[in-house]
Amino acid sequence: MFPQFGATADTLSKASTMVFRIGTDAHLYDDPDDVSIAPLLDSKFDSEKCEALKRLLALIAQGIDVSNYFPQVVKNVASQSLEVKKLVYLYLLHYAEKRPNEALLSINYFQKDLGDPNPLVRAWALRTMAGIRLHVIAPLVLVAVGKCARDPSVYVRKCAANALPKLHDLRQEEHALAIEEIVGKLLNDHSPAVVGAAAAAFASVCPYNLSLIRRNYRKLCEILPDVEEWGQIALIGILLRYVIASHGLVKESIMFSLQCTESSHSVKDGSDADFGQVKESTDMGGTCDYEFVNMVSRCYIEGPDEYLSRSSYANRESFQLTDEQFTSGKSNDDVKILLYSTSPLLWSNNSAVVLAAAGVHWVMAPKEDVKRIIKPLLFLLRSSNASKYVVLCNIQVFAKAMPSLFAPYYEDFFICSSESYQVKALKLEILSSIATDSSISSIFKEFQDYIRDPDRRFAADTIAAIGLCAQRLPKMAHICVDGLLALTREEFVTKDFGFGDQEAGILTHAILSIKSIIKQDPPSHEKVIIQLVRSLDSIKVPAARAMIIWMVGEYSTLGEIIPRMLNTVLKYLAWCFTSEALETKLQILNTVCKVLVGATEDVWTFKKIFSYLVELAECDLNYDVRDRVRFLKKLQSSNLVSIGQEEGTNDLPEKDLLHVVAECILGRQTRKVKAESFSYRFYLPGSLSQIVLHAAPGYEPLPKPCSLLLDDRNVPEGTSEIKKTVADYSGTDDYGTSSEGSDDESASDYDSQHSVAESSGSGRGDDSEFTSEGNDNADPLIQISDFGNASENQNGVSQSGPANLGELMSDRALESWLDEQSGSSNPGISEQSQVRISSARISLGDVGKRVKPKCYSLLDPATSGNGLKVDYSFSSEISSMSHLLVCIEVFFKNCSSETISEITLVDEDSNRALDAADKAADVNQSSLASSDNVPTLVPMESIASLEPDQTARRILHVRFHHHLLPLKLALYCDGKKLPVKLRPDIGYFVKPLPMDVEVFIDRESRLPGMFEYTRSCAFTDHIEELNKENGDSLFVKDKFLAICESLALKILSNANLCLVSIDMPVAANLDDASGLRLRFSSEILSSSIPCLITITVEGKCSDPLNLSIKVNCEETVFGLNLLNRIANFLVERTLG
Amino acid sequence: MPPLMGIEFLCRVSDVLSDYLGGLNEDVIKDNFVIVYELLDEMIDNGFPLTTEPNILREMIAPPNIVSKVLSVVTGNSSNVSDTLPGATGSCIPWRAADPKYANNEVYVDLVEEMDAVINRDGALVKCEVYGEVRVNSHLSGLPDLTLSFANPSILDDVRFHPCVRFRPWESHQILSFVPPDGEFKLMSYRVKKLKSTPIYVKPQLSSDAGKCRVNVLVGIRNDHGKTIDSITLQFQLPPCILSADLTSNTGTVNILGNKTCSWSIGRIPKDKTPSLSGTLVLESELERLHVFPTFRVGFKIMGVALSGLQIDKLDLKTAPSRLYKGFRALTRAGEFEVRS
Repeated sequence: MFPQFGATADTLSKASTMVFRIGTDAHLYDDPDDVSIAPLLDSKFDSEKCEALKRLLALIAQGIDVSNYFPQVVKNVASQSLEVKKLVYLYLLHYAEKRPNEALLSINYFQKDLGDPNPLVRAWALRTMAGIRLHVIAPLVLVAVGKCARDPSVYVRKCAANALPKLHDLRQEEHALAIEEIVGKLLNDHSPAVVGAAAAAFASVCPYNLSLIRRNYRKLCEILPDVEEWGQIALIGILLRYVIASHGLVKESIMFSLQCTESSHSVKDGSDADFGQVKESTDMGGTCDYEFVNMVSRCYIEGPDEYLSRSSYANRESFQLTDEQFTSGKSNDDVKILLYSTSPLLWSNNSAVVLAAAGVHWVMAPKEDVKRIIKPLLFLLRSSNASKYVVLCNIQVFAKAMPSLFAPYYEDFFICSSESYQVKALKLEILSSIATDSSISSIFKEFQDYIRDPDRRFAADTIAAIGLCAQRLPKMAHICVDGLLALTREEFVTKDFGFGDQEAGILTHAILSIKSIIKQDPPSHEKVIIQLVRSLDSIKVPAARAMIIWMVGEYSTLGEIIPRMLNTVLKYLAWCFTSEALETKLQILNTVCKVLVGATEDVWTFKKIFSYLVELAECDLNYDVRDRVRFLKKLQSSNLVSIGQEEGTNDLPEKDLLHVVAECILGRQTRKVKAESFSYRFYLPGSLSQIVLHAAPGYEPLPKPCSLLLDDRNVPEGTSEIKKTVADYSGTDDYGTSSEGSDDESASDYDSQHSVAESSGSGRGDDSEFTSEGNDNADPLIQISDFGNASENQNGVSQSGPANLGELMSDRALESWLDEQSGSSNPGISEQSQVRISSARISLGDVGKRVKPKCYSLLDPATSGNGLKVDYSFSSEISSMSHLLVCIEVFFKNCSSETISEITLVDEDSNRALDAADKAADVNQSSLASSDNVPTLVPMESIASLEPDQTARRILHVRFHHHLLPLKLALYCDGKKLPVKLRPDIGYFVKPLPMDVEVFIDRESRLPGMFEYTRSCAFTDHIEELNKENGDSLFVKDKFLAICESLALKILSNANLCLVSIDMPVAANLDDASGLRLRFSSEILSSSIPCLITITVEGKCSDPLNLSIKVNCEETVFGLNLLNRIANFLVERTLG
Repeated sequence: MPPLMGIEFLCRVSDVLSDYLGGLNEDVIKDNFVIVYELLDEMIDNGFPLTTEPNILREMIAPPNIVSKVLSVVTGNSSNVSDTLPGATGSCIPWRAADPKYANNEVYVDLVEEMDAVINRDGALVKCEVYGEVRVNSHLSGLPDLTLSFANPSILDDVRFHPCVRFRPWESHQILSFVPPDGEFKLMSYRVKKLKSTPIYVKPQLSSDAGKCRVNVLVGIRNDHGKTIDSITLQFQLPPCILSADLTSNTGTVNILGNKTCSWSIGRIPKDKTPSLSGTLVLESELERLHVFPTFRVGFKIMGVALSGLQIDKLDLKTAPSRLYKGFRALTRAGEFEVRS
C-alpha cells in the first residue's frame, strides 16, 4: 500500500539489527576471505588461530571446499586452547574422510589428549577420533574406547558409549566381539547417563544379543526413570524385546488374542460367508475387535510383510503359539517390574518417551490396565502438527483394536481449524471408529459444522466419515441417510455454477456414503433409493449420477415401488444417454441389462429400450462404450428384439447357457468383500514404519516369544557341539568378561544359526592334514622346569599316560597335583572355587618340525586359462637382503598338458604407487627414512619352461607397503600378463626373537598401558584331538599337553614367532585348563621393535577354551593388527 | 530412531538456539554461526542426542550476551568455549549446575495457562479446557530440595513433568518433590478438562443473499474475574469465494491481509460500549449465497488469574537457607480458542 514506508521500515530494522550484530561473528560470515587465512593458522596466538578457523567454518557453511588447508589445520590439534581444539575438531570431522592420509597425522595428538587430566579434552578427543571413520585407525579407536569405558568421568564414559556405534559402522568383523564386550560393560555402569548411552549403542550394535540384558535386567529396570530421556527411549525398546524373548507374551494382555482366536480362525477360513464380519465381544477390558487385534498382534511379532505373504497362501498353521509362550502378567516378576518402571514415564516431558512407554503397556499390560496410557497419549496431542500426526497414527491403531478405550474421550478428537489436513483426516477416521450410541449425536453435531468448513477436501472426508459411522452403528443409519440426502439436495443449488472438483467431490462422497449405508440393509432404505432416483435430473456430477444409476440396477427388484418406477426411469436414461459422460454411459448400459435379466413384467418395453441403447452405443465415439455394448449384446442376444424371430421358438441350449452366464455376471447381488482394513499393515507402536506404513530400514518386529529361553533350555538337534558346550559354560560361569564373547552365540536363534554355519564351514582349513600328521608323529619332547628355580633340568621324557605325569613335575607340584586328583574324579563338587597353588613350566621340543605354514592360492588354473597353478606360503626364513623384505615361498605347478614357458612374477606398478602407499602406511614409522630405495619385489629368477605336472619352487623377497592391503603383482607366462594379488599375512612380518622367560617378563613390564592390547577369543581345536585320544586307549595323552600342542602348533604355523615358555597350572584339577599360559616373542622385521605375545587359557579341557591374548608392542597399529590376526586364526577351526 | 524422537529433538534444538540467540531466523543463525556449530556438535553425536540439558550447554558454551560482546570488541579476544567440564554432567541430577551461590535466595512460581475452546455454529460450548504450565524461576544456593503442593490437585486431568520431579511422591500424595535446575524452567504441564465457561463471548452473524453477505460480530465479557482482559484479538480467514470485503469496527483496528486473513485487534474492552465488527462481503458473481463459513480465532490475555482454578497450596524448602523469598504469579492466555460461524 505504501511502498515508500515499507522501504523505510525495512532499512530501519536493518539498521537496528546492525547494532545487535556488534560482537557477533557476523563479519566473519559476511566476508570470510577478506584476510588471508594461511598465515593466521600458523600464528602463535590462539586468538588469531581462532579467527582463521572461524573463517574456515564460515566458508564451510557457505558450501566452499576448504580442504586444502587440511595439513595446516591439523597441526593446530596440539593447541592448548579449548576453543581452537573445538574448531579444529569441527573442521577435521568435516574433511577427514576426504583426506585420510593427513587425518592420520592427527592420531598421535588424539592419543596424547586421551591421557589429558581434563575430562572434557579426553571426551572430545575420543569423539573426534571415533568420528574420523577410517578403517586403518579402527583398532586404535577400539583401544581408546575400551580405555575411556573405564574412565572415572561419567561424561567420558558416555562419550565412549556413543563412539561404539561409530566403530560398528565401519563393519570390521574382527572388532565386533570386542565392541559387544564394551557395550556389556557400559550397560553395567552405575551412572544412569552412561547406561542410557550404552542402551543406544546396544540397539545399534548388537540388538540380538539379549543375554547381555539378562545379566542386568533388574538393575536396568530400576535405573530406567533416572536415565536421560533419549536413552530411555532406546532402553524401553530393548527391555520390551528382552521380556518377550525370555518370558513370552502376557496372557492377560491384548496379544493373548493370538491364541484364543487361533481355533476360530481355521473355522472361519472354511466358511466364506461370515469371514468379513467383525466379531465383537465384551470382556473385562471392554469390547475389542478380535479379528483386528489378532492381526495387529501377529504383525508385531512377524512383521507385516512376512505375515501377509504367508496368509495369502493360507498356511497360517506354520506360526503357532503354544500356551508355553505365554506368561501371566500377574505372577511374572520381570513383566511386573517392567510395567512398574515404565508407568511413571507416561508423565515424561518428552513425547517420544511417553509414546515408547505407552507402546510397552499396549503390548505387555493386562487389558484392564491398558487404559492408563490413554490420557498421556491424548495429552501429547497438544504439541506441534508434526508430532500430533505421529501420535495420531499410533492412536488410530489402538483405537481400532480397542474402540472402548478411547470412546469416552471422543471430544479430544474434535477438530481445530488450525490443524493440518493430514491431522484432520486422521482425527475423522479415529472419530468414526470410536463412535458409540451415546456419543454419536454430539459427533454428528460436530460433523455438521465441519461440512461448512472452507477446506472442501476436509468436508468431503467428513461426509465419508458419516458413512463409516452409520455402518458401525446401524441404529444411526436412518438419521445419517436423511442428513446426507438433505445435503445432496442443498448442494445441487450450487451445482450449476461449476465450483470445480471440490464441490463435486462432496456430492460424490455423499452418494457413496448413502450407497454403502443402503448396502447394509437395502429393504429399509427403499424410499431413499426412490428419492435419489427422483433427484437424478438435478444431479449433474457424472460420478454421482453413475452411482445412482448403479443403484437402480442393483435394487431393481427391491420392494414394490421401484419395479414400477423402472419403466419411466429407463426411458429417461435412454433419452439422455447421448449427453452423458463416459462412466454414466457405461453404467446405464449395465443397469438396463440387469433390469432385463431380472425383469418379470414390462419385458417388452425394456427390450426395446435395450435395443435402442445398443444402437446408440454402437456408434459411440468412445471405444470403451462400443466394446461394452458389444459384449452385452452377445450376452443378451436371447433378449434382443429381432423382428423375424419369435420368442421361445428356438430354444437352443447355447442360448440357455448365455442366459445363465448373464445371470451370473449381472444378476447376482454383490457379495460382501473383505473389509478394507484387513489389508492394512501394522508395525510396532512408535516406530517410523508405523507412520510410513512400510518396513523402514532397520525395523525389526518383536522377537519370537520365549526364543531366548528355548535356546538355553534345550538345544535343538543339529546344532553344533560347540554351541551346546558354550551354553553350558555360560550357565555355570560367573559371567566374567571372558564369557561375554561366547554368550552371544547362544543368545538367539539368529546367532546360533550363524555359529552352526561357521563351525561346519571351517572344516576345509589347510591345516587339517597337518593335524592328523601330528598325531601320528612321535611324542613331543617335554622339558620341565620348576617355577622356583629356573635352572633347566631337561628331562626328555616320552610321555604315555597320566601315570607318567608324576615324573614330569617337581615334587612340590606333584603333591598338590595328586591331592586334587581325587577331587576331580567326582566333578561338580568344587570345580571353580579351587585355589591354584603352583604351576609348572614346560616346553615342547619338536613343535618346530611339525609346523607347516598355511598355503594360499595366488593363481588358480581355472582362471589363468593355461593351466598354471601358483600357490604361495609365507616362509619363516629371514630375508638376507633387507630387513624390509618378507620371504615368500611360491610354488608353480603346470596342471595342463602343454609346456608353459617364461614364467616370471614382477611388481605391477612399482614406482608410481610406491610413494603414496608409503605415506599412508608408514606415517607413524619414523625409521624408514633410509629405506626408500628397497624395491617392492626383488626380481625373481624366471622359470624358463615348466613341463606338464612339473612343479617349480621359488623364494620371493617382497616388500609390503602396508600390512593389511594386498600387493598387486603381474605374472607373465607365455608372454601373457596376468594380474594377481598377494595378500600379506601380518604374522610373517615379524621374526622370532629368542629370549629367556626372565627377559620376556622384564620387557613386558616395560610396555604397559597404551602399548598393551588384549582380546579374548574361543579355541576349539583341541577338542578334536582329545576326542581322538579317547578312542585310542593305548596312548592316552595328557590333556594339557594336547592343548598346549595344538595351541602352539596353530600359532607357530600361522605366524613367525618364537615360543618362549609354557606355564602349566599344577594345583588345578585335571579337567581345568585355566591358568595355562603360553608366551611368544618376536621382533618386527622392518623396525626391529620387539613384539611380545602372551596367551592365557581359561576353561575346562573338554570344552571350548577361552583364550585371552595379550600383545605388548611399542608400535601401536602394528601390535593391534597382529593381535587381531592371532585372534582370528585361533578362532578358525581345524578339523582332523 | 522413532520419528517422535527426531521431532522432539529438533524442537529441543530450536528451543536452545532461540534461547541462546534471542530468536531464530536465518540472519541470527548466520550472525552466530560459530556458536550454532559448536552447540550442534555438543547436542548431537553420530545421530544420537548427547547433551540437551540447557544448563549444561550454557556452562560449556557461553551464550552471546552484551557483556561478552562488548568485551570481545574491546579486547578482540573472545572464547565462548568453557575450559572445564561442567560438574553436572557427572551428577545424577544433570539439570542442575553444581553448587551455585546466591546472596538472595529466591523462587518464583508462575502458572501460565492457555485456554482451548470450541464454540460451535449454534453458539454452544463444545469443548473448553485449559493447558497450563508451572514455570519456576529459582535462584537458590547449594542443593535445594523443594516440595510444591496444590490446594486442589484433583482437578488436574493429566500431567507431565520435568525430569527433576520425583514420580513416587506424586503418585501417592500428589506432591511435587524436586531439586530444581538453576534459573527458569518448566516444572510441569497439566491439563484441566471440561470447564464450564469462557471469559469472553464472541457472537458472529453472517447472513447472505443476492451475492452479498452481511457480517456482524459482537465481542463482550461474559463473567467478570475481577481482572481486566487484555489484548483481545480476532482473526479469521475469508472464504475463497469472496471477491472483496468492507469491514469496519467501532473499537480497535481491522486489517485484511493479502491472503484473505482478516484480523481485528480490539485491545481492552471499553466500559461504555460493546465492540462490534460489521460490514459486507461481496461474493463471486455466480454465487447467490455463502455455503462455507469462516472460523474465528480469538486471542486474549488475563494477568493474575488461572482460569482452570488451580491453586498452589504451599512451597517448602527442606534445607531452608537463612532467607528465602517466594513469589507466585498467574497468567491465562487464549490457546486454540475457536468460534465457528
